[in-house]
Formats: sequence, structure tokens, C-alpha cells
Amino acid sequence: MWRAISTWTAEVRWIFAKEWRCELRTRYALNTLGLFAFTTLIVVSMALGGPVGLSADARPFLAVLLWVILLFAATAGLPRTFVHEEESRTATQLRLAARPSSLFCGKALYNLTLIFALEALVTPLYLVILEIPVASPGAFVLSLLAGGFGLAVGSTLIAAMIAQAGARGPLFAVVAFPILLPLLKITIAATLAAVLGEAADMHLTLGLLYDAMLTVAGLMLFPAIWNP
Amino acid sequence: MKPIKKALRWSLWLWLSAVIWAAFFWAPPMQGFAGLYGESPQTGRIFFFHVPVAIVSFVAFMVAGFCSAWYLWKRTPGADRAAFAAVESGIVFCVLAIVTGAVWAQVQWGAAWTWDPRQTSILLALLFYGAYLTLRDAIEDPEAKARISAAYGALGIIVAPFLFYVLPHLVPSQLHNDPGSTTMSPKILVVFLASMAGFTALFFWMHRVRRRVLALAAADGDRLVDETTPDMEGLTVE
Repeated sequence: MWRAISTWTAEVRWIFAKEWRCELRTRYALNTLGLFAFTTLIVVSMALGGPVGLSADARPFLAVLLWVILLFAATAGLPRTFVHEEESRTATQLRLAARPSSLFCGKALYNLTLIFALEALVTPLYLVILEIPVASPGAFVLSLLAGGFGLAVGSTLIAAMIAQAGARGPLFAVVAFPILLPLLKITIAATLAAVLGEAADMHLTLGLLYDAMLTVAGLMLFPAIWNP
Repeated sequence: MKPIKKALRWSLWLWLSAVIWAAFFWAPPMQGFAGLYGESPQTGRIFFFHVPVAIVSFVAFMVAGFCSAWYLWKRTPGADRAAFAAVESGIVFCVLAIVTGAVWAQVQWGAAWTWDPRQTSILLALLFYGAYLTLRDAIEDPEAKARISAAYGALGIIVAPFLFYVLPHLVPSQLHNDPGSTTMSPKILVVFLASMAGFTALFFWMHRVRRRVLALAAADGDRLVDETTPDMEGLTVE
């Protein structure tokens, strides 16, 4: 039992390390995510005409714009995790090297680190540039973690699906958005509540529940998606 | 067996015709729909069609989810065709629910679309299952098409209840009534339940017809492949 768990953990670690080694060779996802998010942030700031603070006009958009930046940046970079396996014809080798569950967890963990790094980079900049004070920092960080987790796990699952289809780029957005939008609606509500200092408990609980459901569904469905 | 099926089909048409007649002429006007044009009890009659088609679209999507899960378990092509047929029929009912809802909203609230939580949820459901069809079309290999579609369809077992029942309760709606707070007179309840039964039976009939068409198309496709593929036996390279 313990040996099986230890082998499984070793496989997850191996997949995670392999993903980062490959990423650091090309820095494709890092550059795409970072530059996409930074460019969108500049566009948002320009469109709003500078700092908006908590002005009544800007309130409904404060959390929406942050999550739009994060979602579109994630859409640009995260699908690559499986698409490049199909393009470089390494998918079959990967099927032989690791169990589907450990592969899914390793890839999801890699996407999770990418999205958390993106959030750590973009969110402080967003708050500083637009001069938005956060009334409940704890709830704010929790909403980012819950949303980021769902984005990473959902994107990993959808990336595995679309990697086996044609027209992968546009298809990822079409397929992933309907799955990620309910989560985004919840996390946007939680983030806004945290910024304004209102109760965000219910939204955070629902967000974590959706994350848990996506993870369980991912672990159950991934073997069928991955193995012909 | 055939006369029974024919009788069932005619019974369905008669039942739905009776529901339409009862909705307009037998059920009393609905009270409590004070909308843009004041108290308008006659407009409430769309309730007998709008709510059942919305619920039946959810039933269709759940059927698609369970058929997809069945395909992933047993890998029978029939389960994949059943899931695909259920998604197609579910989308028809979903569009009907959106359109009837928009018509009612225009009369009642003065705007066809207000991003009310229930409107948002059903639109997201439509997008989710529209994506199912797009994903299916984007995969060429029949085995991968069925497998990946089934995985996406099975995901609907989680997403559909979330969209239809959890998300609308997240933000309290200012416009839609809470179903638990609505009281119906016996006549209205009878017509509503009859409409629910009729539309549910209509879905399962449509689903059965579509499944048969897909099965025939699959069989025809196999036959065409057999006829057009040259027999390689006996051929020699000169």
C-alpha cells in the first residue's frame, strides 16, 4: 500500500519536474502568460483612465476586470501542457511512463504553480495601478487561491480533451469557458466582497466546492480521456 | 408491437393538444403577475410551457450525462449515440426555454434579457452543451470522438445541476419567483403537471427517434465503407 503511494508520488514529482524542465527550456508558457496579463493590465488601466479606487462607478468592475485578465492569460498559456505532448509526439511515451492519475496530478500541479505565479505577479500590480484598497486581505487571497485552483484543474482537464482534436487554439476557449464561467462567477463575487469588506464566506465555500468537484471529476474522467 | 407504438404516439399528440387547450381555456388566469403593464394575469399562461421546457432541458442534459458515463464504462456505441441525441434534444428544449422566457420577460419586466441569475444559468448551460457539439465535430477519429465527448458529457452530471439549481440561488433574483414561495390553484397545478408529463414524454420520443436515425446512419456509414473499400485480397504487385 505504502509502496504504491510512494511510487505514485514519485511519478507526480517526476511529471511536475519534467514540465518545469521543458518549460524553462523554451519559457513559452511563462512568457505568454506574463506578457498577455501585463498587456491586458495596461489596456485596462488605460481604458479606465488611471486609478479608480473604490469610486461608485468602478465598484462593479473591480473584481471582474482582474478575473478577465487572469482568465484570458490562463487561456493563452495553460492548454500547452497537453498540446505540446501531441505535437512533439511524446504522448504515447508518457502513457507508458506514468499512470493517468499521477500524470493528471503532475500536470495540474504544474498549471497550478503557473497560475499562482501569475496571480502573485498581476494582482499586486492591479491593486497598485488602480489604487484599490482591500478591506479583507485574507478573504481576498483565499478567493484568488480558490479561483486559481479551479482554473488550473479545469484547464488541465480540457487541455487533455482538446489535444486530441483539430483547431486546438480556438477550441480550448469554446470548451473551457462554459466549465470555468460558473467558478468565475462565484470567485468574482467573493473577490468583490473581500475588496469591499463584506461577507465572502458563502461564495468561498461554493468556490471550494466547485474546485473539489472539478478535481474529483478530473481524476475520474482523465483515464478515459487519456487512454485510447 | 407496432400498433401499440402508433397508439402511444397518437396519445402523446392528443395529450399535448389537450394541455395547450387547457392552458389557454381551462386554467384560470394567474394572479400576482403585476408587471410593466400592470396586473396581467393572461400573460402568466406562458408558465405552462416555459417552466416545463426548462425542466425537460435539464432532464435531457442529465440523460446525456448518464449515457456518457455508461459509454465510458461499457464502451457501447449505442450509449454514445444516446448521449449525443439527448444533448441535441436538450439544446432544442433549452433554446425554447430561453425564447419563451425572453418573451415573458419582455411583457412582464419590460426587457427580454436582464442577466437575471436564472437567465444567466440557462445561457451558460446552452454554451456548455453547444461546446459539446463543437468538441465532437472537431475530432475526426470515431473512437476518440465518442470517448472524449463522453468524458465531456459526463462532466455535465456535475455542471448541469450546478447551473440549474445552485447558481440561481447564489444571487437572490429580484425578478424570478422563488419556486418554493409560489402557490398554485388546483386547476393550474393539474395543467402544469400534465404539461410536465407531456413535454417529458415528447423529449423521450424525440430522443428515441434521433437515436434510431443515428443508428441507421452509423450502419449506413459502415455499409458505404464496405462497398467503397477495394478488396485487397488477390491483388499482387507487378
